[in-house]
Amino acid sequence: MSEFIALSAAVIKGDVKTALEETQKALDAGNKTQNILDNGLIAAMNEVGDRFSRGLLFVPQMLRSAKVMQECTRLLEPFFQEENVSTKGKVLIGTVKGDLHDIGKNLVSMMLEGAGFTIVDLGVDVPPEKFVEKTKEIKPDIVALSALLSTTMPAMPRTIEALQKAGLREAVKIIIGGAPVTEKYSIEIKADAYGSDAGAAVIKAKTLLGTE
Amino acid sequence: MKHTEVPTCQPRLKVLNREQTFEIHQAALDILQQTGFKMEHKGVMKMLSDAGCTVLNGNRVKMPAKLVEEALSSAPKQFDLYDQQGNIAMELANGNQFYGTGSDTTFTIDLETGERRRSKLKDVGHFAQLVDGLDHMDFAMSMSNPDDAPVNAIYVHAFAEMVKNTSKPLVFIADSGSDIAKIYRIACLVAGGEKELQQKPFLLNYSEAISPLNFPENVMEKLLFCAKNKIPICLPSGSNAGGGAPITLAGAMALGIAENLVGLVVHQLAGKGSPFLFGPNVSTLDMRSTIVSYGCPEWSLTQAALADMRDELYGLPIWAYAGSSDAKVMDAQAGAEAMFSIITAMLARANIIHDVGFLEYGNTSSLEMVTMANELVAMSRFFCQGIPVNEETLALAALERVVNGESGSIFLMDDHTFENFMQAQFLPRLLDRSRYDSWTDAGAQDLYQRCNIEARRILAEHHTEPKSDKVLEEIKQILQED
Repeated sequence: MSEFIALSAAVIKGDVKTALEETQKALDAGNKTQNILDNGLIAAMNEVGDRFSRGLLFVPQMLRSAKVMQECTRLLEPFFQEENVSTKGKVLIGTVKGDLHDIGKNLVSMMLEGAGFTIVDLGVDVPPEKFVEKTKEIKPDIVALSALLSTTMPAMPRTIEALQKAGLREAVKIIIGGAPVTEKYSIEIKADAYGSDAGAAVIKAKTLLGTE
Repeated sequence: MKHTEVPTCQPRLKVLNREQTFEIHQAALDILQQTGFKMEHKGVMKMLSDAGCTVLNGNRVKMPAKLVEEALSSAPKQFDLYDQQGNIAMELANGNQFYGTGSDTTFTIDLETGERRRSKLKDVGHFAQLVDGLDHMDFAMSMSNPDDAPVNAIYVHAFAEMVKNTSKPLVFIADSGSDIAKIYRIACLVAGGEKELQQKPFLLNYSEAISPLNFPENVMEKLLFCAKNKIPICLPSGSNAGGGAPITLAGAMALGIAENLVGLVVHQLAGKGSPFLFGPNVSTLDMRSTIVSYGCPEWSLTQAALADMRDELYGLPIWAYAGSSDAKVMDAQAGAEAMFSIITAMLARANIIHDVGFLEYGNTSSLEMVTMANELVAMSRFFCQGIPVNEETLALAALERVVNGESGSIFLMDDHTFENFMQAQFLPRLLDRSRYDSWTDAGAQDLYQRCNIEARRILAEHHTEPKSDKVLEEIKQILQED
C-alpha cells in the first residue's frame, strides 16, 4: 500500500476529487490496474472496514469511501479486460418476490462493492425465475437474497429451489439476510450463509469464496 | 382564609412553536405536490386520479394540497375504542394516553429459562394475558411473530390467540386484503355481529407503507378494507431518520407526515368519516449498527413534536411508541430508555403508545420488560397528574393538629394522612424501597428478577374472561380454512 499513500488516504477520507487525481496519476505513472485496485483502493477499503469495526467510523463515512472507490474503479475499468484484472467475485443480489424493501439490500451491495466485489443488483420484488435467468446469464459466484418481512421469507427457499431445479445451485453460493432471517433459518432452507448485517455479509461473502 | 379549589396544571411537554409546525406541514404538502409518491395499487391510483391527483409514468402520483385539507376535515377528530365486552376503554381525544405492547418480534426472552429464542404462538397468548392482568397496559398487540403458525395465516392465528387471552382492545397486524378479512370475521364473532363491531370497535389495524413514498398493493388493500368497514387504522411508514428518511429530524418528520397524509386521503376517499389514527414513526437509524433505534431520544422528540402539530393543525388522535430499548437484556440501559420514552410520551400527550416491552431494537420481546414498564407508566401517570391545590391538599388543619395539638402528635397518626396517602403518594410495587436487611432477607433480587416473578404470578393467577364455547368453536373453524 506504501506506493499509493495519497490515494489510500483520499479514499479513507472520502475525498473524491483527490482520489480521482491520484488514481489518474497512478495510471499515468504506468502502474498495473490490478496493483492500483488491490494495493490502493481495496487496501484503503480494508482499512476503512477495520476502523468501522473498531467504532472509529460511522456508516455514512464508510459509504462515502465506498463511493469514492467506485468512482476510482470506473477510471480503471477500461483496462480491466486487456490486463486481465480479477475482482473478489461477482454477486447477484435482490430483494425476494413480494417484498419491496430495499434499504438493507442497497447497503449490502454498497459494502460488497467497497470490499472489491462486482455487484449485479436485480432490485426489489424479484421472482425466483428472474434470479435463475440472471444467474445463467452472468454466472455469479454468489447469489444474495434479502427479505424484510416474515411473510415474504418463504420466497427465499423458493428461489433456492428454483436455482436447484435449473441445475445452478452447485455453481453458486447463496447468502441470505434481512430483519426476520436467522442463522437457523439459513440452515433450514439450505443457504450457504447468513449475514446478520451488512458488515457480516461482507465477511461471510469473503469466507464463502475463500478470499479471506 | 378559606382556600378554594384552583385548576391543576398538568405538566406538558412542548417542543415546536407554531411557526415550526406550519413549516413542517408546508414541507409535507410540497413533498406531495412536487416529489410525489409511488402507488402500486391500481384501484387506488384510479381513485386518486379521479379526485384530482396527477399520475405520471404509470405509478407516480402528485397530490394537490386541497385533497389533504379535505381529508383532514372529514376524518373524525376523536373516536373511542371499546374492550371486547363492549365497554368504552380508550377515548381517543385530546391528550388522553393509552399504553400497550408492540408486534412482530422475531425473538422472545423465555420466562422460564431466560434464553432468547424464536417467538412462538403461545407467546402471543402469554403477552395478551399479561396485558389483561396489568392495570396500566390498556391494549394488546401480538408482540411475537410466531414461527409455529402457518406462514400465510400468521396474523390470523396471532389475532385468535389474543382474543382468547385478553378482553382489552387489540391493535392488530395483517398481511393483505385476504387475511384481514378473516381477522374481521373473528372480530365480528367476538363483538356479536358486524353492526355491533362497527358500533363498538375493539380493534385497530396497524399497517406500514415503505419510506420513502412507496405504497405497496397489499398495504393499500388493508387501508381500503378498514376504510370501508370502519375499522380504525394507523398507517405510518418507516420514515426513520437516515434510513427511510433524511437524517435531519425536520425532514424525516415532513416525509413521515406526507406519507401519513397520502394514507389519510386514500382512506377518506374510500370511507369518508372512517376513523384514522395519525402518526409517522420517526425514529433514527443508528449510524454504527444501522438498526432502527427503539431507545433513542430522537423518536421521543419527534412524537412530542407531532403532538404539537396535532394541537396546532391536525386535530387527529396520534400514534406513538414507548417503553422499549435497544439493550439485549433487561438491564439498566433498558430501564433508562424505557422510562425516558414513557414519561416523554406522556408529557407530550400522545394518544396510543405502543411497543411497550421491546428489547433489542424491537427484535426481542420480554414479559419482564412489559411488567416493569407497567410500573413505570404508573409512576409517570402519577407525575403527570400534577399537584392538586385545595383546602384538603394544603392541609393547614392537619398541620395545626400536629403542631399545636396533643403532645406526641405526628402526621403518620393523623386522620388526614390515613385518608389521603393512597392518592397523595405513588406506591410502587416492583421498584424496591425496602430497607437493606429486608431486601437481603427476601433474596437480594434485582428488578429483573422481581419482574420475572411478577410476570409468572400473573400468568399463573390472572383469569381472563373467557369467550363463549360457540365463539371459540367458530374461530377454530376459521383457522382451519385453507
